[in-house]
Amino acid sequence: MAEPILSIRDFSVDYVTERGLVRAVDGVTLDVEPAEILGIAGESGSGKSTLAQALMRILPPPAVISGGQVLFEGRDLLALPEDDLREVRWKRIAMVFQSAMDALNPVTTVGEQIEETLHAHGAVSADAARARALELLEMVGIPSASIDAYAHQLSGGMRQRVCIAMALALHPSLLILDEPTTALDVIVEREILEQIRALQRRLGFAVMFITHDLARMLQFSDRVAIFYAARLVELAPADALRRAARHPYTQGLLRSFPSVHGGGTELQSIPGAPPSLETPPAGCRFHPRCGRVVDRCRTQNPAWRTLAPSHAAACHLAE
Amino acid sequence: MTYILRRLGFYLLSAWVALTINFLLPRLMPGDPATALFARFRGQLAPEAMQALRETFGLTQAPLLTQYLTSLRHVLTGDLGISVAYFPSPVSTVIGTGLVWTVLLAGSAVAISFTIGTLLGLVAAWWRRGWVDTWLPSALVFLGSFPYFWLAMVALFVFGFTLGWFPLGHAYADDVVPAFSTAFVTDVVRHAALPVATMVLATLGGWLLSMRNTTIAVLGSDYVNLARAKGLSPARVALRYAARNALLPSVTGLGMALGFVLGGSLLTEIVFSYPGQGYLLVQAVRNQDYPLMQGIFLVITLAVLAANFLVDLAYLWLDPRIRESAT
Amino acid sequence: MSASGVATSSGIAVWWGAIRRDRKALAGSVILAIFLVIAIAGPWFVGDPTAPVGIPLQPPSADHWLGTTGQGQDVLAQLVVGTRVSLAIGFAVGFAVVLIGALVGVTAGYFGGRIDGFLSLLFNVFLVLPGLPLAIVIAAYLPSGPLTLGLVLTVTGWAWNARVLRSQTLSQRRRDFVAAAIVSGESSPRIIVREILPTMTSLMVAQMIGSTVYAIGAQVGLEFLGLGDVSGVTWGTNLYWAQNDSALLTGAWWTFAPTGLCVALVGFGLTMLNSGFDEITNPRLVLERAWRAHLIRRGRGATRSTPVVMDRG
Repeated sequence: MAEPILSIRDFSVDYVTERGLVRAVDGVTLDVEPAEILGIAGESGSGKSTLAQALMRILPPPAVISGGQVLFEGRDLLALPEDDLREVRWKRIAMVFQSAMDALNPVTTVGEQIEETLHAHGAVSADAARARALELLEMVGIPSASIDAYAHQLSGGMRQRVCIAMALALHPSLLILDEPTTALDVIVEREILEQIRALQRRLGFAVMFITHDLARMLQFSDRVAIFYAARLVELAPADALRRAARHPYTQGLLRSFPSVHGGGTELQSIPGAPPSLETPPAGCRFHPRCGRVVDRCRTQNPAWRTLAPSHAAACHLAE
Repeated sequence: MTYILRRLGFYLLSAWVALTINFLLPRLMPGDPATALFARFRGQLAPEAMQALRETFGLTQAPLLTQYLTSLRHVLTGDLGISVAYFPSPVSTVIGTGLVWTVLLAGSAVAISFTIGTLLGLVAAWWRRGWVDTWLPSALVFLGSFPYFWLAMVALFVFGFTLGWFPLGHAYADDVVPAFSTAFVTDVVRHAALPVATMVLATLGGWLLSMRNTTIAVLGSDYVNLARAKGLSPARVALRYAARNALLPSVTGLGMALGFVLGGSLLTEIVFSYPGQGYLLVQAVRNQDYPLMQGIFLVITLAVLAANFLVDLAYLWLDPRIRESAT
Repeated sequence: MSASGVATSSGIAVWWGAIRRDRKALAGSVILAIFLVIAIAGPWFVGDPTAPVGIPLQPPSADHWLGTTGQGQDVLAQLVVGTRVSLAIGFAVGFAVVLIGALVGVTAGYFGGRIDGFLSLLFNVFLVLPGLPLAIVIAAYLPSGPLTLGLVLTVTGWAWNARVLRSQTLSQRRRDFVAAAIVSGESSPRIIVREILPTMTSLMVAQMIGSTVYAIGAQVGLEFLGLGDVSGVTWGTNLYWAQNDSALLTGAWWTFAPTGLCVALVGFGLTMLNSGFDEITNPRLVLERAWRAHLIRRGRGATRSTPVVMDRG
């Protein structure tokens, strides 16, 4: 296997509160291989979006990165000075935010927002930038007349396409999609995901796809990482996960999505609610909701174990 | 278009409310000021002037509605009655002589204060806990706690009276001929400098805080985060993203503050014996010149409404979302 | 469950918290307390402020700490006695405009529809009419005195509060417990008084403080114009007489400087109290402060990119 383009080691992110630190990402270790689609799933508040923004070092206050290492194409992103970080951002790692409505500047045209990205990363003539912006919009299926539109004049789907076009403007090697389709209806969602996959095959960038919709993720991703309460609990190829999930949380998630397990068995949601990160349970964080809990789960933090080739989980009972 | 029409309609309605208040006030108030006034001026005023005063106060025999319509007609044709203090000049003529000075004073003070205050607010929000952010807001809020006219008195006392750097009052020196000449303009600027400066100092803190707080909120928005993720230069993020968006609520605030600032400007004029509406107002109050007082209220109200409409147009130009619904 | 009990206690408790924990709020409340003591007890310790006690326009001396006025009255006595009326009008108007603002704003926000349309139009018109000229015209027709001042300042000052409380009510109305109360058939006045108003107490205290600042400033301005009772003793009439006696052109700075300073100190104290309250209740400011403190403890400064503070090494 080739060198991973992104290698995250023991990565932790804290939010500072009045009463102390709250760990939102806790000791995560994860690789992204070139040209793969890595899905990251978990309930809201499980730390998946925090992880993505922290990697790019754009997570706003009161967040701090409290430990670990992030190697991207051989460079340690946690040690890079501000100016070098600006170079990595967008040229190498680009991102599509959750809400395209909030992510686009409401007072400038979408064309201008794409063009300024090109200008920021190299001397481009105004004409060349505009031509490239048109090309990018065409690539995601937006009529060229919309280049002078403002965000509020476009539909939700169109806005998200603009964000995708903008993300691909500088040929990044990694595209982070942070719940890109949450605000969209199912049909538009499918269209957009298919378009991203087609572009990914053509242009060969890697994708980090973050969502709370496991069904969608299994269709779309090559590998899947499952987050629970700030920790990574299972990592496996999508097929392996669908066939034989090892972590009880993943199994519970699979049972709660209709399209994943097909007909037959009944839909079941996981009892209980995710724990507060301010006072996480001791031992395995899933134990209060787990149907197979044993004494060890309540006190001992399960180690991260490789159970099958490229399939790993953090559970005392998994084998 | 709808946006502009809606705003215009609102200002017309506000103007109508002002006219109606103006009409009703002398008729609702206890003690009948008009009779007192008559007693005072009986024998001094020509019969036709007495008649004009009578009409102003509605002491005609006509029914209220007729009086109301007459009064509206008079105002719409620019007839605001006869001034008592400046008898026999019509109120409109008296006000006309002072209007340009008030507009000059209040207008330049608002423009300067808004520009500087907004810039400082942006600086404070961008370099949080920096020098500007730590000291300036408190210092300017303290200055803003003084009544405008008191700051004017101190400024006049220190820079005019004690140090003699600036003239002690009026809009221009007696020996300068009003004309579009360098000498005249320089003289007007020299006379306006102190009153404008005190008003700017008194209002700067408000603009600074409003811009600072909205900029801080905007800096936490997704689009600013995306701008950072895009690797844009800090200058571009600060100006095209943060400032450009944070300006919108400040401009809305500008419209609402105009009337307030104008009130302060009237009082400042008095301290500097500046020949604007404030000076006339004080004459009107001292001489119980009700027609002049009401005329000034009306003219100032109309000026504020017009200025508000200009602010709306600026907003239209700044915010494409409004522009959209307007066309 | 009714949120009212909890909200009422927290509404006021938050203010105590602000005064205890925030330096600005503490400084503001100390300044305010000093002036309240002067307003209440001060007049007993100084002589008759209107009596001529010395040669006119004498600079500060051992006999007259702040000098004498153009009529030979004691400036300090006038300042102290004036504090009582000026603060009383200020606080009364502050209270009245929030009361009216709450009445109009909450009614508009709660009932919506045409009632909202009409009331919103009403306060928007009053917001755009210039306050001081309107106040002058009304005051000129009424007998001069504290009551008139209070009235005109209330008429010209309530609209802003109504606007803020209307939007606050709109957002409260969408809350679950209000919806539950409506569904369970509680009467509207009861819902407003029991469920909605209690959640806005701390906001209304903040508005009252802001309105008092406005009322004191505007009151002084009107009196300066001669629209107060010029035979009474208030901060504004002190300034009126200082201007009338040409204090400036005779160099008698002591006749106007102390009064203005007092107006500013009270206004500044009230504003500091409000901004201290904002600092401890605005979640964004609270978290940002904690974040900065954490970075400083770890020997780092705030950076635009997410800062890295390693646990080890």
